[in-house]
Amino acid sequence: MTMRNWIQIFALLMPGLGLILVLIGSVVYIAIAQSFGYYALLGESAFSTEFWSEVFSRKIFSRAVRYSIYIGFWSAVLSVALAYPLAIWLRKPFPGSIGLGALLKAPLLVHGLVAAFLYINVISYNGLLNQTMQGIGIWAEPRRLQNDSNAFGVLLLQVWKNMPFALLVLTGSVQGISDDVLDAARDLGAGPWARFRKIIAPLTMSGMQAAMVIIFIGALADFTFQTTVGPTNRQSMAQLMVSFKSRGDWHSAAVVGVSLMIIALLGSALLALLTRTVMRGSPR
Amino acid sequence: MFKKLFTTAAALGAFMTPLHAGDLSTMSWDEIVAQAKEESNLTWYVWYLQDDFRRAISSFEDEYGISVKIPDGDNAGNSQKMLAEKDRETGDIDVFAWGYDSFETVELKSLFNSLDKLPKDDGRVSKLAGVDGGDHVLAFWGNQSGIAYDPAKVSEADLPQSIDDFATFWTDHPNKFGFNYEKGGSGPSFYQNVLRNVAGVDFSNGEVSDARIAAVQPGFDFFNKHAANYIITASNVDNINRVSDKELWMAPAWEDHLAGLQNRGEVRKEIKFYIPEMGMNGGGNGVAIPKNAPHPAAAMVFVNWLTSPETQTMFNRDFGTAPMNAAADDSAALVPNEQRAFRQSWGKQPFRSKVEEAFIDNVILER
Repeated sequence: MTMRNWIQIFALLMPGLGLILVLIGSVVYIAIAQSFGYYALLGESAFSTEFWSEVFSRKIFSRAVRYSIYIGFWSAVLSVALAYPLAIWLRKPFPGSIGLGALLKAPLLVHGLVAAFLYINVISYNGLLNQTMQGIGIWAEPRRLQNDSNAFGVLLLQVWKNMPFALLVLTGSVQGISDDVLDAARDLGAGPWARFRKIIAPLTMSGMQAAMVIIFIGALADFTFQTTVGPTNRQSMAQLMVSFKSRGDWHSAAVVGVSLMIIALLGSALLALLTRTVMRGSPR
Repeated sequence: MFKKLFTTAAALGAFMTPLHAGDLSTMSWDEIVAQAKEESNLTWYVWYLQDDFRRAISSFEDEYGISVKIPDGDNAGNSQKMLAEKDRETGDIDVFAWGYDSFETVELKSLFNSLDKLPKDDGRVSKLAGVDGGDHVLAFWGNQSGIAYDPAKVSEADLPQSIDDFATFWTDHPNKFGFNYEKGGSGPSFYQNVLRNVAGVDFSNGEVSDARIAAVQPGFDFFNKHAANYIITASNVDNINRVSDKELWMAPAWEDHLAGLQNRGEVRKEIKFYIPEMGMNGGGNGVAIPKNAPHPAAAMVFVNWLTSPETQTMFNRDFGTAPMNAAADDSAALVPNEQRAFRQSWGKQPFRSKVEEAFIDNVILER
């Protein structure tokens, strides 16, 4: 290729690539630089690994890493696991399927914070659930359900919010499978599980991986659900980052932020690989 | 033509450039008020109850014809903005509100205008919670942390006063007491005073050393020993909500916060408040005028109004604050004056932050 061709390609890529490099690259650069002591809002800006060693030595950080991975992983797995049967069910149109599909995707239009507050109202000490359970005589007195230590409330909200997204992605993938392929499998004696395992899953692998990875990244960095309904004896990484920042400790906040980006990157790759391994038996 | 343009631009520039602090130093108070009316508006950076303040300042706007803008923003964001734009010739902030102890972390003289041109009023408060605001900061909001309780569950005679009383209460009534360790200072006020009483550490000394942090350990042990009998809540407001909801019987709270919620009908009126004898932290918030305030005269008149006996009486009535002017009426307070003797000052930094970190690591994460 001539230099002229290279310049043309570069010029064509610039509107998209330039935006990514300038907007995302500059933010990533500043976060990394700040984690090493540069860009101090107050005081001296100088290279230092002190913030990394100090944050990594804190128990609250290792707990936050484990906790965020737990939320990210299970949110992705549960959302996709619930979305798959629905996507297959809605694959072929039937009376009311469009309305049903729209209803299932409705949570995409509701902000997570609104859902979190509604959830608190339902599970609070004198909330709807406690009143119902006492009313029908199952519980003798109200139970404390808010901020449960296993973060089931956070997982419930994450799945409620993310399952419709997984459904959106998987519906497209599942609908792309030709009837002929599934009919041929059926003719050859494949049952529902075999058809899913050997036909649907491999052909929708990309959609599933995309859904898993995007949900994982979002849930890993959860702040809204965690601060509203999450356990009070641990913090998510985003919550810890904000907590450092609100104390004016921008360098430690940057360490957590950069760690979050690294975990999101590595975790996504591992999750995509894991998905492929589980669904196909071995990586190809 | 160019001469005309230049003259017009210069005239417009002179008209639009705000006057600065130096201009006020030679003025009488009447001249400052006249100048303030010419400036006609000001921006007050305050990080809490913005909607309530927008209503409360209407009497100032009516009296002086000066409109007050209160932007939304949190404490950290406002203070970072104030510091970030300190070198700009003209900033955006006319009046800056901050926790009184936070003013101790900056050099007042280099950041804020002197308030010595205000009309003399000996009732104003410039020394609060161990911090001397000098000529640059005045307190406008007095607050006190304590314990909110449900009188239907705990009688006044049975209120825990000492750490032993609290331990007994936790044992006798498991999980009916809760406190927060973040998102608000009422919980931290409670646990820091328990630590002070149990471990005997001196929070008025801000020095940090391994030995001083290790000395707090008996306090952490106290909390861990009783961990099964109290709960950790999410925030200041969560404490009060759970008492109002009858889930908890007692929880730390701010006097002004509770009074405000009760006045607005957001929590039960029956909930009461007291300051235990073991002590809980009190303090307040102050206001100052940044050196690069775009409307310094209007800011000065506003600070005068904010710290006046009338405004402080109104704040006590509407928000339940401890008045920050000796001539104000404090009859609407939630606690009798004799309980104010149990007020403690916030611990000095950086020791306090280190204890907070250690508390999270040694108590919260151990649950």
